[in-house]
Amino acid sequence: MSENVIELSNVKKEFVTTKHYPGFKGALKGLFSRETECKTAVDNVSFEIKRGEMVGYIGSNGAGKSTTIKIMSGILTPTAGTCLVNGIEPYYNRKINAGNIGVVFGQRTQLWWDLPLSETYTVLKEIYEVSDADYQERMAFFREVLDIDSFIHSTVRTLSLGQRMRADLAAALLHNPKVLYLDEPTIGLDIVVKDRIRQAIREINEKYETTVILTTHDLSDIEELCQRIIIIDAGKKIYDGTLTDLKNDYGRNCSISFELKELPDQAKLSNLQQTYEKFAIELQDKSLIVNFDKNDFTVADIIGAMMAHVNVTDVKIQETELTDIVKGIYRNGVGK
Amino acid sequence: MMKKIGRYLRLYRIFVVQYIKSTMQSKVDFFIGLGGFLISQGAGMVFLYLVFEQIPSMQNWNLEQMLFIYGFAQIPRGIDHLLTDNLWMVSWRMIIRGTFDKYMLRPMNLFFQIVCETVQMDAMGELLVGIVLVVRALYKGVVKITPLGVLFFVISVTAGSVIYTSVKLFFASLAFWVKDTSPFLTTAYELSDFAKYPVEIYAKPIRIVLMTVLPFAFVAYIPATYFLIDANLWRTIGAECGIALVFWFISYSLFQKGLTVYESAGN
Repeated sequence: MSENVIELSNVKKEFVTTKHYPGFKGALKGLFSRETECKTAVDNVSFEIKRGEMVGYIGSNGAGKSTTIKIMSGILTPTAGTCLVNGIEPYYNRKINAGNIGVVFGQRTQLWWDLPLSETYTVLKEIYEVSDADYQERMAFFREVLDIDSFIHSTVRTLSLGQRMRADLAAALLHNPKVLYLDEPTIGLDIVVKDRIRQAIREINEKYETTVILTTHDLSDIEELCQRIIIIDAGKKIYDGTLTDLKNDYGRNCSISFELKELPDQAKLSNLQQTYEKFAIELQDKSLIVNFDKNDFTVADIIGAMMAHVNVTDVKIQETELTDIVKGIYRNGVGK
Repeated sequence: MMKKIGRYLRLYRIFVVQYIKSTMQSKVDFFIGLGGFLISQGAGMVFLYLVFEQIPSMQNWNLEQMLFIYGFAQIPRGIDHLLTDNLWMVSWRMIIRGTFDKYMLRPMNLFFQIVCETVQMDAMGELLVGIVLVVRALYKGVVKITPLGVLFFVISVTAGSVIYTSVKLFFASLAFWVKDTSPFLTTAYELSDFAKYPVEIYAKPIRIVLMTVLPFAFVAYIPATYFLIDANLWRTIGAECGIALVFWFISYSLFQKGLTVYESAGN
């Protein structure tokens, strides 16, 4: 049994802000009022993550993802509850924790902006007290999987976003952290670079058994990398399970589109709709679209039924994509 | 413990070298900065000369003595300015913008990380003026060199720098609650300008502030006068060190407390 690297139990984080009013008068009023507003960014969140797991942590903007990551990395102290990373509470043992984790914030860089990239790595080597042998070994690995060699002597400021991201990832991993937090690591990147970054993350996870927690708005990141997914909304955890389960539970809707040789007339269409009232049949352009629940019918059932009635030239099967599922969950909650 | 100090010294050297390298990355900037620095220092010297030319003596202090006090005041100020200038950024925008996060993610002391990020070369001006004026006072025989005097001088300058740093750290730490404290810090820091002249020339309330709440009188004027009048240095320097320690303790505790309420910023 592998041990838990991360354990959150009933973690809660509230931010207290003074109340603001609109307009200039409002600003004056705000200056003298002592009213405060309490915003709960993370609300009783609990989960456990095992060593070597890659977990997608998703939620809409302002759902509390970054706040959770910041608690786990020791930047924020939770209002209530405990968070253990490698058996210690990060916010009380910031320095020790910092040695155990690596963090990449997609929108901020931790590289030395005005210096050649290679300098960043030499400084980080000293900060984290990485031995020469380890340093050589890891740099060789990063050269291979992230291809940082081609720009290692360029000033960080001049790097493209894709290069910077790769460089940042290497910087976060130089001390071989047990846990890696990736906060939107592929934001704004083109497909080729995205792919390379994902590949690198996968290889790092395999080679060093690094636990990876990934927040992103690009769900294809999750599909490519994570077995497990945690969804948070308005500070509350609303889903925690495997990607396959999520798809089975919420992705049952399937849609088949039949391209037709000739369009059925209105009478025939309503006839069809009456015969098969269990699935939704509609006409779009030159195709007949059939929506149904996979628990009730199989794809073969539908195709067989339709073929018997209309002249089909082509068939396309569309399963619900993760994006749609998540969109649905954000909109309607888990119940639906 | 020794190992820890060794590590931090090594890291400090590395950070400073990196900082200097990055300021030199842009050669034009570097030379413009150097030029600006020389001009501002030159102007400062001229101004000083013009002021003191008008005031041959003040509250029983003659011109030479006043120049010594002035110079003495510049040295701890310059040392603090040279080493801890980045505290201004903390009070001004690091906390409100959430860029303070980057320090929290590294396994090093936070105060150390803040101060090692910049070495403010502008401070060379204050140090230069200070050293020139103190050397001049020695040369003119206003103060005498004794081994004990040198020791006290070093201790006093160190304690004075600590007082400066503590005041800055105190106001910078308030930013954890207030977000932007640079106006307060500016006010407090400007008050330290009063320390350049004999405290007796000020009205009583200001004098009290300078000796208690913001004890800038202790960074220069009070120790300097004791060098001049040959009084009980032990007590004065002792008081200065005591004040430095107390203020450092208060400020550093506030800083530590502030870290627990740090809120970062949204992306």
